[in-house]
Amino acid sequence: MSEVKWTKTISDVNDGILANLPNPHPSYYVAWVTSIICLAIGIFCWVYQISYGMGVTGLNAPVYWGVYITDFVFWVGIGHAGTLISAILFLFRAKWRNTVNRSAEAMTVFAVITAGLFPLIHVGRIWFAAYWMLPLPNTNNLWVNFRSPLLWDVFAISTYLTISLLFWYMGMVPDLASIRDRTKGVKRLVYAIMCFGWRGTAKQWWHYEAGYGFLAALATPLVLSVHSIVSWDFAMSIQPGWHTTIFPPYFVAGAILSGCAMVYTLLVPVRTMFRLEGFITKEHLEACVKLTLLTSTLVFYAYATEFFVAYYSGNPYEWAIFEKRAVGPYAFYFWVMTACNCFFPLLWWSKRIRNNVAVSMVIAVLINVGMWFERYNIIVSSLVEDFLPGSWGHYEPSWAEIGLTIGSFGWFFFWFLIFCKFFPIVSMSELKLIMPKPLNPKKSH
Amino acid sequence: MKKRPGGVLAVFQYLDDLTEAIEKVRGREDCEGYDVFSPTSYHEIEHACGFGASPVRFITFLGGMTGTITGFGMALLADWDWPLVVGGKTAVFPSLPAYFIFGFELTVLFGGVATIFAMLGFGKLPNPTNRILDKRFTDDRFGIFIPYAEEGGEQANLLKACGAEEIRAISPG
Repeated sequence: MSEVKWTKTISDVNDGILANLPNPHPSYYVAWVTSIICLAIGIFCWVYQISYGMGVTGLNAPVYWGVYITDFVFWVGIGHAGTLISAILFLFRAKWRNTVNRSAEAMTVFAVITAGLFPLIHVGRIWFAAYWMLPLPNTNNLWVNFRSPLLWDVFAISTYLTISLLFWYMGMVPDLASIRDRTKGVKRLVYAIMCFGWRGTAKQWWHYEAGYGFLAALATPLVLSVHSIVSWDFAMSIQPGWHTTIFPPYFVAGAILSGCAMVYTLLVPVRTMFRLEGFITKEHLEACVKLTLLTSTLVFYAYATEFFVAYYSGNPYEWAIFEKRAVGPYAFYFWVMTACNCFFPLLWWSKRIRNNVAVSMVIAVLINVGMWFERYNIIVSSLVEDFLPGSWGHYEPSWAEIGLTIGSFGWFFFWFLIFCKFFPIVSMSELKLIMPKPLNPKKSH
Repeated sequence: MKKRPGGVLAVFQYLDDLTEAIEKVRGREDCEGYDVFSPTSYHEIEHACGFGASPVRFITFLGGMTGTITGFGMALLADWDWPLVVGGKTAVFPSLPAYFIFGFELTVLFGGVATIFAMLGFGKLPNPTNRILDKRFTDDRFGIFIPYAEEGGEQANLLKACGAEEIRAISPG
């Protein structure tokens, strides 16, 4: 690894960010191999499930949504911070975003791709998935149900994936041109094709900036809509514990919380692996922590409101579910969720803890754990006990479901780490914008 | 393939030198067809070049509207083809609130895709065989290229006077 020196002028940017792309810290390779092992576990479990059928999972009456839907909602949630940071913070002109937006966008793209696998895994017979999920008429010439939240979800997630992918890739085009101009031979040709032959002319920048702004403006309501629509998968049913109007904002806040925590979890090791401490500084990490803390308090408030409304509604079924969440057979999940999402982040009110990268990293990982447990808690605890006590049951995930969950982490990190190795994980052209402008010192300004 | 013209290329280190040069070059008949290069999108350059609002917005609007019509149209056509009553909601009007989701999502999707096409199209991209005049233009230097100008000519002297750190001739091709 080479030493990176910077003097905080735009001339340092390309050199500093691209210096260690070919030779990252050895821990990079350890992380990559670990992700491949996890991915292999997931692939084995999926092949096993396809071979032996859905009986290998813990899913059975009355719980037909379990860990797979938990994983789906979890990964879609993770994918929210990327576009929030890229689009919403872009429109608010929050400068710190320019150092972290690229990795957050990459995280979004890979997280949404990971999420997209789970409906396919969940339906069991994936070869029928197209007929169940897309607006194709079935054998009786009936169309899919356009009033179903599940179909809304298909449209929301695929739109979100496409727009996030375009946003991420377009942001990368000028940087790919920078790499093209520093490489030779086949590598140069590959980057020349990938950057579409970008030259950085004033006219190209003019249209690029306008388009980037429009994409941000289009993506902003999209971020808010996607997790609202995911929440309607639950809220549109009449299941106690799900049928509440607070779900869309509550889910969006939760998604941003988990996404920001994941951004932090990724940034800390990546900035060390590629020696980017001078670009992704402690101030940027602290800004990310503050955003996570803000969303954590929103989630805390949503949990409290949900509980209060369940009590205040006077609906015995609703209240019974909430009571059992706290003290019933799934209380463990509930209290892990509450501790990780509401209480541990409170430590961040202290500036000392916010600036302690190791402690903050632990809190960020705990939030990720807590957010996974939140989805599990919502999905499973409502399904095990519905209106008829005779149909009540219990659900525990099987080893195949746990293996596939581990595999999803492997899949996500596998792609993310490959991305870090071949593409600049800090947006060089946008970073130059927040550095002092290169003005002639001989002229008075 | 049409041969690209030769000319003079000036390399600048400083943004304010560049904008001064652009303002002088702009409107001169012997500098017509000039190109400005920059490593990132400084608004000063946009202002100096006298660019207004980018036409990308029209394409974004058209794309978005196409998406809205497609989203609502798809759901309504399915209703027309086979009215399906779900949850007591009959086809078309009672179901419209649900169809806003499709209208909205496809507005964003088509609008976004149209924006990308517009950004690329107006920027004359993709063209991987584009001539790269100086590799530093994607790093930390700015540039102005004036076609058909000569190294010792009036235009070159003007750029030099504005603070260009390097002037060189570019041959056609």
